[in-house]
Amino acid sequence: MKRRTVCVGMVAVLVLIGSLVVPAFTWAQKFDWQMHKGTSIRVMANKNASGEAIQALVPDFEKLTGIKVQYETFTEDQYRQKVLLELAAGTGGVDAIQTATAQEGLKFWRSGWYEPLDDYLKNPRLTDPNFDLSDISKPSLMGNTYDGKLVALPTTQQTTMLYYRKDLFEKYKIKVPQTLAEMEEAAKKLHNTEDSGQKIMGIVLRGKKAAATSQWAPYLLSMGGSWLTKDGKPAMNSPEAVQAFDLYGRLLRNYGPPGAVNYHWYECVSLFVQGKAAMYTDVSNRIFYFEDPAKSQIVGKVGYALFPAGSAGRKPTMEVWSVAVASKSKKKEAAYLFVQWAASKENILKMHLKGAPSVRAFAWKDPKFLADQKHKDWIEASLKSLDIASTEWNPPVVAVSEVRDVVGAVIVSSILGENVKAEADKANAEMAKIMEKTEGK
Amino acid sequence: MAIRAKAQSKSSLAVQTPRTTGLREFFERHFSRLVPLPAAVTMALLIIFPLAFNVYMSLHSWFVSSTTPPHFVGIKNFVEIFGKDARFWNAVWITVKFTAIGVFLQLGLGLAIALYLHRDFRGRGIVRTVMLLPMVSTPVAVALIWVVMFNPSLGVLNYFLSLLGFKPLVWLGHPRTVLPSLILMDIWKWTPFMVLIIHAGLQSLPFTPFEAARIDGASRWQLFRFITLPLLRPTIAVALIFRTMDSLKTFDTIYVMTEGGPNNASEILNIYVFQTGFKYFHMGYASALAVILVVFVFAVNLFLIRLRERSWSY
Repeated sequence: MKRRTVCVGMVAVLVLIGSLVVPAFTWAQKFDWQMHKGTSIRVMANKNASGEAIQALVPDFEKLTGIKVQYETFTEDQYRQKVLLELAAGTGGVDAIQTATAQEGLKFWRSGWYEPLDDYLKNPRLTDPNFDLSDISKPSLMGNTYDGKLVALPTTQQTTMLYYRKDLFEKYKIKVPQTLAEMEEAAKKLHNTEDSGQKIMGIVLRGKKAAATSQWAPYLLSMGGSWLTKDGKPAMNSPEAVQAFDLYGRLLRNYGPPGAVNYHWYECVSLFVQGKAAMYTDVSNRIFYFEDPAKSQIVGKVGYALFPAGSAGRKPTMEVWSVAVASKSKKKEAAYLFVQWAASKENILKMHLKGAPSVRAFAWKDPKFLADQKHKDWIEASLKSLDIASTEWNPPVVAVSEVRDVVGAVIVSSILGENVKAEADKANAEMAKIMEKTEGK
Repeated sequence: MAIRAKAQSKSSLAVQTPRTTGLREFFERHFSRLVPLPAAVTMALLIIFPLAFNVYMSLHSWFVSSTTPPHFVGIKNFVEIFGKDARFWNAVWITVKFTAIGVFLQLGLGLAIALYLHRDFRGRGIVRTVMLLPMVSTPVAVALIWVVMFNPSLGVLNYFLSLLGFKPLVWLGHPRTVLPSLILMDIWKWTPFMVLIIHAGLQSLPFTPFEAARIDGASRWQLFRFITLPLLRPTIAVALIFRTMDSLKTFDTIYVMTEGGPNNASEILNIYVFQTGFKYFHMGYASALAVILVVFVFAVNLFLIRLRERSWSY
């Protein structure tokens, strides 16, 4: 009898302890935004649409997590220098960065500056169960993967598409170009026609050395070329690449503005919004200039189309901006919370509505967004790109800026009507030299 | 007695001078060295140290990226620059052309305008002030405006050309026309500087030689050729030295207008240094280039200064 009561008592105590311990255990495993309340992190970002959209929403994050964020934005060139020097110093002074992996990814990864995120994403204690990685554009995730490790979470993207003047195309009864050949044909037909008293140029594209390379990339890929051969050697003098250089230069030389070799996107947009060009290929958020009555004389006249197909099919490129955790950070978990928050569905939708186009498909179908955005062809082209685009708008090398200058020189030569093949050979050799110098193992 | 008294008073005087605290005495004794000390320290920190560090860096190879830290390579950077770097020699050539042509034209124009202004006429003060505006305006802002003016499709310069019946130019848009366009802009911006210095020089010239020459029946051309010009030489030399030094290391306007393009046709040395350092991040190599640029500018100016001392002074 006595022994029995003891037994019952023991069982009761055990149950009691168990009921305390088990929830405590599961609680420890559960995700909590507030887990690093009170700490502070430093984030460095580019002063572009994406970086500024995140900046505007940082107070949300601070309220959600109780983490204080020192968020610093710089203009692009400065941002690249500062982030690089900060990471190279290796003092852990910065916890999270905004990053365009196509620009600096390989360099940062090889230098060991990115914290791989796979383990964080798998950890239920650290990752919100609502985070849903599967909704993020596959190509953008692939672009952020090095040696099988995901190094950054994508937030926003810009895809290269074709802008064309609907009114002119109708007037001259030209179909929207589906292929690059049709595009050249259309440029030829429309070049030197007149519209509201001014001469029209067939097409405008970036022509300024390094700046042009990123918008030349979809031409290269669509025409079956690639930056590197399969064994990682430069492929800038392959027949496909030479064709792409040739077409790009020919378009600008014959149907583009004089002095195109000095055209960065800004000059292209200026020309286009003044109604002086019939077509333009560039990244998708140019829509905000075209459809702004304060800046543009062609509001409502622009059609938006997927980048035309070449011999290798549709290969638009997509510029993805992501956020990453700095490997030397002393507050990696808090930094990861920030990165995760920035790429979360809720935040991405908010940014998307503010004009920083989403890498998650769902945001493009959001009713509020659809009510705002009247240009269905723009949405369609963007959405399609999310699935099929390549993120290689830059050469996949360590010394991106240097190689861009070398490749850009061929584009300029082509615009000027010089011998493209010879220039491409020269550039290829130079690119090989740079790669050996900066990647040589 | 009197002598003794004098000696006494002298010694008492010495005693009377209070033995001041060591610090004060120290300050008193080293006054002339102490006063410029803060300036000297600042100079050392801001100029000499970076320069020395730059030379040190130029002997290293450092590509800011990988896990490889900077490593010592001796004079390898210099060997590569002088021996193999075509882009460097291109930059040197463009720097020389840009400076020689630009400064020469600025000097000619500056001299002409200064002579013109060296007379009495109504509104001279206003003209002189307005003349200086290009020089004092912010380089980057000015460059941006010139970019717009140079634009072949939207710019105002081609519009003027068309009014005059000329064919439009592509200005900055072609390797052949880019340097003349940049020189044009540079002339606009810096001729006033020449005017300012030469005009001041003209005003300080002595009267007598002119009077004497006139009495001897010299023509106006002879006056200019044999009196004004020789007397102005030191002034012109100073203006030349300033402008040459400045022009050799031009950066802001060209960077804003062309970034050295199209295809390096306007890439002067300073821009090449910048690209190598802050765009490609080859810090060691860029440091070596910077050392060469410093030596180059220094050498050219030493030459000009010598020239001024030897043959251009009077």
